[in-house]
Amino acid sequence: MASKKVLVVDDEIHIVHVVAIKLRNNGYEVVTASDGAEAFEIACEEKPDLIVADYQMPFMSGLELVQKLRSSEATRDIPVILLTARSFAIEDKQKEDLGISQCLSKPFSPKELLENIEDILYQRDLVGHSADISRSLDS
Amino acid sequence: MRVGRNLYAIVTGIVLSCLLIGGLSEWQYSGAEEGWRFANFMQRWGPVALLCYIVVAVGVIWLGWCCLRLAGTITSMAKHLKQDKSAHIKPYGNAVINVLSEAVNERLDSYTHYIAQLEKQIKDLQIQIQLSQRRGKNTEAIIYSIRDAVIVVDEFDRLLMANEAAGRLFNFDITSSQHKPIGELVDPDKSEFVDILCHSRQSKARATRKEIGFLKACPEQSRRDAEPKTYDCIISCVYEGSPNAKEWGPHDQSQRVCGAVAVLHDITREKQIQQAKTDFVSHVSHELKTPLASITAYSEMLADGEANDEKTIKEFCSVIQSQAKRLNRLIEDILNISRIESGMVKVEKKPVSLTILIEEQLQMIKSAASEKNIEIIGQKPIVFDQVYADKDMISQVIVNLLSNAVKYTPAGGKVMIETEVDETANLVRVSVTDTGVGIPENEIEHVFDKFYRVDARKKYAKGTGLGLNLVKQIVEKVHDGRVSVTSKVGIGSTFGFELPLAMGETVQV
Repeated sequence: MASKKVLVVDDEIHIVHVVAIKLRNNGYEVVTASDGAEAFEIACEEKPDLIVADYQMPFMSGLELVQKLRSSEATRDIPVILLTARSFAIEDKQKEDLGISQCLSKPFSPKELLENIEDILYQRDLVGHSADISRSLDS
Repeated sequence: MRVGRNLYAIVTGIVLSCLLIGGLSEWQYSGAEEGWRFANFMQRWGPVALLCYIVVAVGVIWLGWCCLRLAGTITSMAKHLKQDKSAHIKPYGNAVINVLSEAVNERLDSYTHYIAQLEKQIKDLQIQIQLSQRRGKNTEAIIYSIRDAVIVVDEFDRLLMANEAAGRLFNFDITSSQHKPIGELVDPDKSEFVDILCHSRQSKARATRKEIGFLKACPEQSRRDAEPKTYDCIISCVYEGSPNAKEWGPHDQSQRVCGAVAVLHDITREKQIQQAKTDFVSHVSHELKTPLASITAYSEMLADGEANDEKTIKEFCSVIQSQAKRLNRLIEDILNISRIESGMVKVEKKPVSLTILIEEQLQMIKSAASEKNIEIIGQKPIVFDQVYADKDMISQVIVNLLSNAVKYTPAGGKVMIETEVDETANLVRVSVTDTGVGIPENEIEHVFDKFYRVDARKKYAKGTGLGLNLVKQIVEKVHDGRVSVTSKVGIGSTFGFELPLAMGETVQV
């Protein structure tokens, strides 16, 4: 099975770096971006399996990025994990509406982030699998 | 008059007796037997009768004279009393009059006493009236001079009293608006206040407190630039017959409310400060969490053995170190600003060379600049540029200006620092010029304000809004210098500061 691709977006270069190393060490392919606009472009081009984004970024916040991703056909279904220094910044309803899979508050543990990513991708695979099975059964 | 009356009495008496005698003699000479008998009788008893008549006449005259004298006395007494109300009646030597005058005197005495008492009471009452009038005026003056708006309404929500502040706030004339319904006086955009006032009066609650926000429309201010204001509004009901505060307690619903007093206190400034504090805490916690996040993540990676080789381990460690330094710098910034503000800062001023200080700070900023590929152009060495200053504080100023310049300059830009000595003005001028995002003209005057962050810059990079405020505080408050800024959006900014030259002292570094 081909390795999963994760896009990591943060204006803090150290955070991007550490997440990238953690994910690469665990067999993921990683692409990075330092702001929302760049992240959107890369997401459209690379079509990653998951996006890890910082909430507060210059020019385009993590939330704005998610809104933009959701409005575009190509990126609508990509799961997103938001990293935020403000635990109260996003309400549950907003989280649900925008399809944000998970919010991790900073400081975060790379290990926990990895576990979350694995969980989300596994569940998606499962859903995709069952969809495949039901499709094959139908045919 | 008295003589006239007496004469009249005598003449009347003589005329009457003459008529009687005439009548009798007529009767005597009529020839009747009875007439003769009467004549004999008269001859015998005539002198006696005359004597009797004279005696009676004298008696009558004397009696009349006495009566007239009595009347005269009483008249003079009355005149006397009329003229002088407080005087006593003199004894007139007449027993009856004396009894009367004594009785009148007694009554007079008691009346005089009573009048004196009444007069005293009237005086007391007048004093009390004056006092209460003065008290009333004082109370009014106190209410008028209160800076908070005070409005008193009666049980039908008509205006009883309003002070000047209330007149200004609600834009009505306080003298001509009495007894008008409050709803008509207050502008429709402030009807929220009227609703709350009526509601709390009807509810009979002792006191109602609510925050009300409205646009303050001053007569001299057009509504367009009226700024929104927040008021803390307290409405207290006035109960009938309980003017004393001692009756505070759970109020009785059956008590009649005869009006309400509303006090509106402007809390706009407090709200702003509160908001600024909340924003500050939120900014600061975010700023503190960012380096902390790196430290946590990298140390966890090291502990988990995710760093495979020596080079990566070293790299992780250096990140942890630099982020710890960043965290420390932030905390120092916050502490310094609060210390300078509270006047608790310890200043150690010595003559120091700015060139050397700048050189030190340039070394510190270089790594951050090279990360963003920003070229830093240092200054040419200047021989005589020592200032009398606190070395650590001025270092802080320089590093704040340099790090700001690097922070807000896009990758590949330039940052230049220059020192200029103006010997005629006895100043050293340091300026930091960047090719950064710049500051819009309308925001430039606020950049040194605490917590202020230029909108465009806010999006560009993170910050607490403290760095430039710290620069200003250190330069102006601690060193009597001056800060300056010029900027053009998209081209860059120049931040500078001036410090007085230290003359004729040895330079210590």
